Order: sequence, then structure tokens, then C-alpha cells
Amino acid sequence: MKDYLSPSAIQHILLSRSKLAQAYKPPTAYKAEEEGGCGVTGFACSIPVSGRHIFTPSIQMHNRGNGKGGGIAAVGLSPEGLRVSPSLLEEAYLIQIAYIDAHIRKAVETECISPFLEVAKAEKIPTIDDYKMIAGLESKPPDVWRYFARVKEKVLQQFIEEHHLEELPTPRAEDEFIHQNSFKLNLKFYASLGEKKAFVLSHGRNMMILKIVGYAEQVVRYYQLDDFQAHIWIAHQRYPTKGRVWHPGGAHPFCGMHEALVHNGDFANYYSVSEYLKQRNIYPLFLTDTEVSILLFDLLHRVYGYPLEYVIEALAPTTEMDFDLLPSAKQEIYRAIQASHIHGSPDGPWFFIIARNDSYEKKLQLIGITDTAMLRPQVFALQEGKVQIGLICSEKQAIDATLHSLSSEDTRFCPIADKYWNARGGSYTDGGAFLFTLKHNGDKGNQMCLTCTDKFGRTISTLQGKTHWDKSITLTAPASASSIMTMVDEGLYQKYSTLLSRTLSDHLSTWDYHTILWCCASLVEKAHAGNNHKAKIIELLTLLIDHRYDTGTKKRSSILQIVHEHLYKVFHSTPPCGTEGIDLYRFIDYHTSTTLAPPQNSGQILIIHAKDFPPEGDHSDARLMVDAYQMGWKQFIAFDYRGQRFCGCGLGPDTKGVRIDVYGSSGDYLGSAIDGMELYVHGTAQDQLGQIMKSGKMVVYGDVGQTLMYGAKGGEVYIMGNAAGRPLINAVGCPRVVINGTCLDYLAESFMAGDPLQGGGFVVLNGIEFDEKGTLREQPIPYPGSNLFSLASGGAIYVRDPYQKLMAEQLNGGEFVSLTPDDWNLILPYLKENERLFDISIERDLLTTRGKLKEPQEIYRKVRTVKLDVLTEVEGE
Amino acid sequence: MDERALAQPIETIPAPSRFRNPIGKYKIRRSPACNGCGRCIECCPSGVHQRIGKKLARPQDYRCRGFACKQNPFYCIDQCPRKALKLALNPLAEAMGDYRWTADLIISTWQQAETGELPAGDIEYEVGDAGGGFDQMRFIFHAAGAKIPPEKISTSIELNKRDDGRPSVRIEVPFYGGGMSFGSVSLPTIVARAKAAKIWNTFTCTGEGGYPEVLVPYADHVITQVATGLFGVREHTIQRAKIVEFKYAQGAKPGLGGHLLGDKVTPAVAQMRESIVGNALFSPFPFHSVYSVEDHKKHVDWIKHINPRALVSVKVSTPTDVDMVAVGSYYAGAHIIHLDGSYGGTGAAPDIAKKNIAMPIEYAIPKVHKFLINEGIRDNITLIASGGIRTAYDIAKAIALGADGAVTGTAELVALECLRCGNCESGRGCARGIATTDMKLSNLIEVEWGTQRIVNLFTSWRTQLVEILSRLGMRSIKELVGRTDCLKHLDYTNDVVMKAAL
Repeated sequence: MKDYLSPSAIQHILLSRSKLAQAYKPPTAYKAEEEGGCGVTGFACSIPVSGRHIFTPSIQMHNRGNGKGGGIAAVGLSPEGLRVSPSLLEEAYLIQIAYIDAHIRKAVETECISPFLEVAKAEKIPTIDDYKMIAGLESKPPDVWRYFARVKEKVLQQFIEEHHLEELPTPRAEDEFIHQNSFKLNLKFYASLGEKKAFVLSHGRNMMILKIVGYAEQVVRYYQLDDFQAHIWIAHQRYPTKGRVWHPGGAHPFCGMHEALVHNGDFANYYSVSEYLKQRNIYPLFLTDTEVSILLFDLLHRVYGYPLEYVIEALAPTTEMDFDLLPSAKQEIYRAIQASHIHGSPDGPWFFIIARNDSYEKKLQLIGITDTAMLRPQVFALQEGKVQIGLICSEKQAIDATLHSLSSEDTRFCPIADKYWNARGGSYTDGGAFLFTLKHNGDKGNQMCLTCTDKFGRTISTLQGKTHWDKSITLTAPASASSIMTMVDEGLYQKYSTLLSRTLSDHLSTWDYHTILWCCASLVEKAHAGNNHKAKIIELLTLLIDHRYDTGTKKRSSILQIVHEHLYKVFHSTPPCGTEGIDLYRFIDYHTSTTLAPPQNSGQILIIHAKDFPPEGDHSDARLMVDAYQMGWKQFIAFDYRGQRFCGCGLGPDTKGVRIDVYGSSGDYLGSAIDGMELYVHGTAQDQLGQIMKSGKMVVYGDVGQTLMYGAKGGEVYIMGNAAGRPLINAVGCPRVVINGTCLDYLAESFMAGDPLQGGGFVVLNGIEFDEKGTLREQPIPYPGSNLFSLASGGAIYVRDPYQKLMAEQLNGGEFVSLTPDDWNLILPYLKENERLFDISIERDLLTTRGKLKEPQEIYRKVRTVKLDVLTEVEGE
Repeated sequence: MDERALAQPIETIPAPSRFRNPIGKYKIRRSPACNGCGRCIECCPSGVHQRIGKKLARPQDYRCRGFACKQNPFYCIDQCPRKALKLALNPLAEAMGDYRWTADLIISTWQQAETGELPAGDIEYEVGDAGGGFDQMRFIFHAAGAKIPPEKISTSIELNKRDDGRPSVRIEVPFYGGGMSFGSVSLPTIVARAKAAKIWNTFTCTGEGGYPEVLVPYADHVITQVATGLFGVREHTIQRAKIVEFKYAQGAKPGLGGHLLGDKVTPAVAQMRESIVGNALFSPFPFHSVYSVEDHKKHVDWIKHINPRALVSVKVSTPTDVDMVAVGSYYAGAHIIHLDGSYGGTGAAPDIAKKNIAMPIEYAIPKVHKFLINEGIRDNITLIASGGIRTAYDIAKAIALGADGAVTGTAELVALECLRCGNCESGRGCARGIATTDMKLSNLIEVEWGTQRIVNLFTSWRTQLVEILSRLGMRSIKELVGRTDCLKHLDYTNDVVMKAAL
């Protein structure tokens, strides 16, 4: 915001609202609707995309909602789709009003619209003929009318004079008028009546909100938005738990001025936040967390004029060590913000996604903000190529679903993002918030330019100079075809595929997409030829997915896309389950799940196509796997996951000898409670992995999400990348884990895993990551959080910290000690296995720093327990 | 099992106290004036007076009926020709107990556990003296008295009221035993509770300390608890159970997780929980994988996936929005919503938590009951109440307020001769072998005896429940659910007669 408002202007705005609520007796600030549960998703794209692409992620997140409330918002709309001129779209307020009672429209227009607004165009949003045509939609959504309007000049003048708003630039005064006008409408026709008749869905420029009692994708279908195009879409599946009669008014998104907000979480201090708002003449009408969230945002940004960084700070304050690490100028401002606004800071789990039109700065934005304690899951993703897209979701699988949907329609999109990450709430590293901003780039027509920044304005981007695979180009055999074939043939006759995979990955930096495609296609053909080669080729292609290497001018995401496609072809060309014969593999999917039969021999491998299975329940792929195990199957390949949960769960105790390989976007709770089996995840995993795991081995060739191994009792686990929040919390017994990356915070809180040197458990934290060339580098700090090993009474952390960056303040009941030879002998076998799995060399990558090979005790530090009084003193004496 | 009365009667075997001079409410003193005539032995139907050889033994006065016996022709005090006998209140009894568990309630529970019958004599066995809660409520019995013959009355309830394909689970009595972990109580206590639950075809619960192997023979009657520390939770402990209970909170210390003091984490306890000997164990206050209702649904789905046949119970404390919690649990797929009120006991709690913070159970039950009715789902979920359920009358009142059944805790321990001294938490723990894992102390309880004590108590309770139903004209405990019209709250009544009776 360029024009900061003067304090007196701000005062006048707030005062101008004092009469608004006179007719309204605000009830005691209790929440009308309990929410908490939901799934949120959103994306911002440099080109406009159709509404149908918000479908699949919404459908795949059904289990986060219960159909009692769903909504969408779109920003950066298509003028053609609305049949208006681009200038009208840019200048007019797009007021959308939901008429729960269709007959009330006349009264609403007479009282709230015609006296004050100049309406350039008014129309009813087209819908399908009969809501019952949409499976599962139980109640008729309200009729929605949209009005392109401006405030009448005289009316605006009078408003400005009456409330002494002369200091405000006129457009701002007009914003305020519209805001208050909508409030009056909502008050009169929704909040204060016994029966709810009508309410304003949104009134911002170039944006719209629609919500119903149903699932989010049903909104798109009902209001015929499948083909409607916009740059930014957000959606929300609600899980409200009160009230037999559901009102769409309570669903998300909620509207501020020119923004829409969806929210996953549940405030503990709704009362306090409402009081804070009331002190500023702001009165919630829909009595939900989400509504006060956007009211807060609107207050801080539009009225107080804070830049977004300060708004984010007010909502999610920086504390503990993160605060100490800020530069002092920032500390001063942040302290002032916290002192002024702490009562309006939402407490409790929350995650916001905001879609907005900053018409003053001429940019569109999609923002994700997480609370300081990081209690809700959140994933961000970015893809930059011929088109750019930024995505934010509660689950990674929903991001992948969106990209799948887009790429199946437009080959400029890749089904895999270039980068996935989590935000660290209230941190000095990223501030717990990321913004995707779209600006017009003069020359590109309706294509805009997307940038991604964090709270502090630092840019996040993928490496320049790389291009995606252009699917539209036809496949031709490369010049080097025959020599490649010779190399492949020789490699396939070797005992281990690792050599061939290394050779191939070395070549991948220089080969072009043609060559890679051709090579993969040839491999697929060879796999058809017979079992011998099939196993090798599966292993080979898997290694290309798992390992990190230099991809030259090609995007890793495109290579992954190609390799996955071909690997899946190999999986698909497998005889179905129940076929006679001694082949190694059998195939089964959702549609043929009733044909499940025992294996011919114990070495047979069951290939499960996970895609069409429901995410949980009696007909899930996880259940099929349990049934198959009980029939005698021990080896499984499960591929093309779309977020299905509980993979590997339910097989019971003593599953040593079982192996499961997982490909695709696997879901939550994978590998929980396993006892003996080996589970390999060829990609990034989601939340609650390995919960209460007892024994066995789990390997993740990527990152993991929240609460990894919560309450685990044992197990040997290797994570190639990062873990999110609360890994190994409350774990006991003897888990032995290597995390090569880092964690958000709360690693091993309340760890109770005995003495590692006497058979207990430990975590090795390496704090390294692969760069774009597949080389390992140290992360800025091995552990950024303030709560390492908190309240632990057993176990230990071995952290790779050659520069002693970690400080005692980050511990809470632990202490740093030096590594002893016994410690090193303990962790060495695990580091050796880590090396074998991930190609992370102990000598070259772990023990070498600044070019010099060091002794282990110069590199690793041990965090061990300190006897805490609170844990051993007898209570009350 | 259908809804008729007990299929076969449960055997009542007397299970007398382990101790030589059990504490009773009354004291009988025999002065030297006694001439050994033995008249008192002939008189007393309760066996207070006995001979040892030629002499008269010390009076077994814990069996004495007390002052109420005065109107009886066999009142030994009057019958004694030498006036050698004197009756008084036992001063030990006067020092025992508190407002919730009065000396009368403790002693009468012991008597029921011994005999399986209602205590004879002048002793209160229905209500305590808390001045609030259930103690200020009474049933309204109309003058006509018992109407329906006891053998026609059913006290069984169905726990699975969802039509979801999971098995029916019917229990013989409208109550089951609450979770008390290995670590907070001794192994013989745990086994006795399980055996009694099996005999009565109801359940007991593991508590949050894991599933001791000794319970496996009783698996069909043991609820596996999954608490926030996830101690001892493994797939096979979930797979062998008919009911899995999620303990989100407990009423005695809402906002805190389970707490086992260091002294009680013996090697055996540490081994079961895979933790460290001598280190206190805190369970976190939330499940770290559950921070909102859709996480809860995912959690419930996980357990349902591991065991496709088990019912899911969600145990919560009673915050002001307990009704929301209940309906949220229903939609997440739970079969049972278990409200744990603030009067309950706990093996250990920091002092700061011992004040009752959550909503008293007598408010929470009707609030949730009515809310679920308004939501249209009351018939599809089982509502269970716990927290200070001491007597059959407490159980009946909880049901009349709107619950389907109740969960007991302390009462079962009192049956094992707990005298509510409150020293459970310190040092080696309980001097009576109940709330301890010390090997020597645990051996004070003999499993068969302990089993019979609990069985007898349940027998007496069932008899009382049947009597209540009979007097209210009901054929089944189901008819009592939500019948607040059968209850009177003494603070809000002008019934002079009722008040005078107090």
C-alpha cells in the first residue's frame, strides 16, 4: 500500500462504523458453529484456468469435510466469462448476494442497492437446472445475483462529509462505504432475523465467492463454473459439527474487502478476538473463526495500512529464539506490533489461505499463513516453466491432484511440482507465510508473471535455465540410439542395477528429452519381454526416481514425470491376479479387487494400482493389502497413489519378510504400527508416518510431514529429506532414525527411549540437502527451532553440527556433549546403510567440511538427557 | 443375548475381608460382666457373637446392624441378662471417608462385596454427603411400590447402536469398568476386574499403560485404551479387542494427560511401556496427531482399519462445549461417547489439577443427551458417563439424566477393601495391594478373592437397579434413559416431607 493512512484518517474510519451496530445486539461472543475440521486448497496461475481444476483436490479431500459446507473463491476473473468489458471488471465492485429466500430480492435491492449504488450490470448466476442432478447434494443452494456496481457520486460525497473522511483518497472511501453497506445488508437480512434470508457473499473487485451446504466441487458444478476461467482459485471443505439446519453463510470462504479467506483450524480465543474487534467497532455476524480472521486481516491491512509483513506478524507473532535472531530494527517494530495486537492474535491451531486482488498495486495474490505452533498441516508448491503456478494445500496429494488435472488438459503443466516445502510458523527463516503474486507483464497478453516470496519478501524460485518436457513434440529415435541400447543391454546383465542406474543418471544431465523418452520407452519394451528384465527395469526406473542427480537444462519434475509414466506402463502390463503361471508379478486394481487370490508361491509380487480406491474404509487399497497378506502375499508394489491412507497398516504383528514399495502421492498414517516389515516410499510422504511403529524398516526417498513416528516403540527409519513438526514425539523403546535434512521444530519431544548405548533409541540429524545438481550441501542451520529434545527422559540426538551453530537455548532439558567412540560405533552402521540407500557418502558428504575430512567428534554432537526434577521428584512432598 | 432378565444367575460366594478385624460402622463392647451364657449368640441373626471354646470371642461387630436393631426382639443389648453389651458408633468409621465417599458408603460397599446382598442394618448405601451432584437427587417412587416381578426385568444394554455392519456388543448390566493402567494398579487388581467382567458379561479396560499378557484369556471382555502417550498400543492389542477406547481426556484433570509418578514406574511397568525405570511418565494433553476434528476422524478411521470389527469409544472430559465434542465424535465414526466428569479419581495428579475444573457430570449428561436428540442422532450413539459413580443409585441417576450406562472406577477398588486413604501416589503406594506395582504389596490381593468381591458388588448393584426399575414400573433399563421426571433435586423442591426425611 503506497498511501499510508494518517492516524486521524484511521480514527475516522473506525468511528464511522459506530452507528452500524446500534440495531444489533451482539450476543455473548460464543461461536455459533464449531469448525476445526476441514481441508483447504488453493492455487495461483500465470494463465487463467478453468474451475474444474479445483475439483480433484476437493474430491480427494472429502475425508477432511463432511459435506455440510463447502465453498470456493476465484480472483483474477475472465471478463469474457462474465461477459463484461475488462475495464468494468477492473473498476466495478463485483457484489454477489445469496438469496436464501428468492422472494426477498426486491426488498434487498430496494433497501440496500438502488438507493446507493450505480449498477452497471446485474444478473443471476446461471446454475444447472436441478440441484438433485448433482450426486450427494442434499439441499438446494441459494440463488446468487451478481451486481457490477459503484457508489453513486452524491452518496459517496455525503458519506465522506458525514464521517470526516476527506483525508482518505476517494477510492478508499468508496471501499469503506461498500464494506459498511454489505454489513448493513447482512445485519438486516441474515444476522438479526429469525430466518436467514440473504447475505453478501463477496463484494471485492475482480473476485467472487460462492458457498453452499455441500462439498466445494458441488459449488463449481451447480453454478456452472467448470469452464469459467480465473487466475486464482481457492476451495474449502468444511467439517462443522453443530446444527441440523446448515446455512451456507457459515461456510468458507469469507470476504474482507477485496480478499477471500479459507481456514483450517479452531481458535481457542474466539472471545478475546471478538472483543478486540468490537473495541474497533467491528462486529462479527456469522460467528465463526474464519469470519473474524478476515475481519482482522481487513482491519490490519486496509484500515491500519500495515504492509503484509506486519499483518502476518500481528497474526502469528515471532517468539523465542526466532525473535532473538531477528535484526534489531525488526525486533523493535515487531515488539510494538505484538504489544498492540496480541489480543487479536488467534490462538490455537490455524492455517489461512487468502486469495486477494490488490487493485491499488495492480496485483493478484495467493497467501498461506500458518500459526506459530504449526499445529495444522500445510504444503506449498511451485512450478515454473512455460506457465507458472503456485499451490497451497492441507495435503501434498491435493497439490499433485491439481497438477494432474491441469496437465491432462494442458501439456504446459507438469503433474509434479518443481518444489514442495512447508512453512515454519512465526520463524525468522520464512515467517510462516508464503505469497504467490501475479502481476501483468506488459507484453504477454493475458499471461501474468508469478513470483513467490516469504513473509520477509525473500524470493523463492526454482533454478533458472531449466525447461520442462514439451509433450507436444513427437518422439524420434536419437542418434545415439544403438550405443545407448548396447549400454543398457550390458547393464541389464549385471547382478545389480546400481551401476547401470548411475551410468544413466550421469547421462541424464546431457541427454535431451527425446533421448530420455526413447530410452525409457525401450526399457518398457524390454520389460515386456520377460520377468528377468522386468524386475531389473523396475529397479532401474525406481532408482531414477529415488536418487538425486544433475539434470542439466531439464527440470527434474519433467524427468520424474517421464520416468513415472513409463514405470507405470511396466506395472500395468502385468497379468491379473489369479492368472496361472509362475511369473513373478500379478496385477490388481479397484475394479478387479474381488479377483484377489492367493499367490502361486511366496516370492510372487502383487502390484496394486491404488488410484481408484477410496481413501479409507473397507474397500480401500490398505484393506486389500491386509486381505492379500492373510492369503499369503508378502511382496507388494502399490503405485499411482492419490492420497489414500493407512498403507501398510492392519497387517498385525510379526510381519518380518513383508516388503511394500510405494509410488505416487501416498497419504497419511502410512506405515503406522508396523512390526517387522520393510516399507520403501519412492517419493515424499505425508503426515503421521510410522505412528506407534514397533519394528521393521522404513525408507522415504523424500520429505515427510507432521508427527513422524509419534509414540513409536522401535524401528529403523531413513528419511532422505526433511521432517515437518513433532517428529518422534513421545517415542519410547528403541527407534533408530536417520533424518538427512532438518525439521520444523519439536524433534523428539518427550523422547523416552532409554540409553542408546544400552539398546535404546536415537535420531541422527544431518541437516543437509541435495542441491539442483544432485550434490549435497549443508542447510543454513542443522536445526532452526527452539524446542529440540524437549522434556526428553531417554534416547539421544546425534546432530551433524561442525560449526557448532546449535545453542543450548534450543534445548529444554537436554545437554550437548561430545561424541565418544562408543557413540560413533553405535551410529556408524546406520550411516553406512544411509549411504547405501541414498548415496550420501559418510566420508565425502558427512565427515568432510570446507573441503577437509574431519574426525567424527569434530562433526557430530550428541544431545542427551538431563535429569529433570519434574520427572523424578515425588509430587506434593 | 436378548433383552430378558439374566440368562443364568450369577453365583454369589461370600468373600469376607482379608483382615482379622474389619472396620464396621458400629462397635459392640462386651464388659467383664459377661457370664458366657451365650444368649447373644442365639439372638443375633448376623453372627456378631461367637464362641471360641468356652469363651465368647471378640464381637464381629462389623456385621452389626446398629441402632436400627433396637426395635427388634433379638436386640442383643437388651437381651443380655447381665447388661454386658454396649453399642456405639465405631470411632474408626467416624475418622474414615469424606463427603463423596462417606464412611457409610465405603463400609456398605465392603459389605456388598462380601455378601452380594444389600447391607443389612442401619447404614447408608445409596448416597454420599457431598451436598451437591447426585447426592442431592432422589428418585420419585410412587406409593404403590414394586410392580413388575424382578425376573422379568432386563438390565442389559446394546453398545453398538450404529447401523454400520460392525458386530452387536451387548452387556448384561448397564455399566462396565473404567481404565486403570498397569502401573497405577496392581496386576491382581487388573486380573480380578477382568475376571469379574467376564462373569458378568461386561467389560473392563486396560487404561493407558499397555495390555498385560495376563489379560489375554479375557480379551473378549477387555477394552483396549489408546491414550495420548500411546503407551503399549500395538496392532495386536487393538485387534484382539471388541471395543477400543480413545482417551482424549479424563475428568479428574482436564487439560492434562495421564501421569504416573516415578516411584511407580517399576521395572515391570517400564518394560510394558518401553520406558525408563524410575522416570515419571507424562502423557501429553492432546494426541499430537489430532488437532482438529478431521484429524480425529482420521484417527478413528485408523483404528477401524486395524480392527474392522471393533467398536470405537471416545472418552472425553466435560468442557462447556462437550455437546459439540459429542456430535463431532459421532460424525467421526464413534459408537460410544464416554463423558468423564470431574468427580472421578485418578492415580496421580499434580496438586494444581486437583480442583475440579470441568463441568460436573450431572450437567454434562443431560446437556449432551438433549443436544444429540435435537441433532437427530441420539438413537445412533451410546452415551456413557463416569466420574464418581459410587453406587447403584448413582448409576441409575446417570441413566435417568440421559446416559445409556455408566463406567465405574473407584467403586471396584473399594470392593477390594480400598479405604480411600489417598496414599495411592506416594512411595510404594497402596497398603492394601491395590494401587501399587510393588511385588510384595501386590500379593496382598488374591485374584480369586478379588474377583468374587467385584462379582458380589455387581450382584448387589443389579438387584438394586432391578428394584428401582420395578418400582418405577419399567421392564428394562432402556426405559429409564432420560427420564428426568423420575428424579427430584432436593435444592429445588418444596417437598416438606422429603426434606424432613433427611
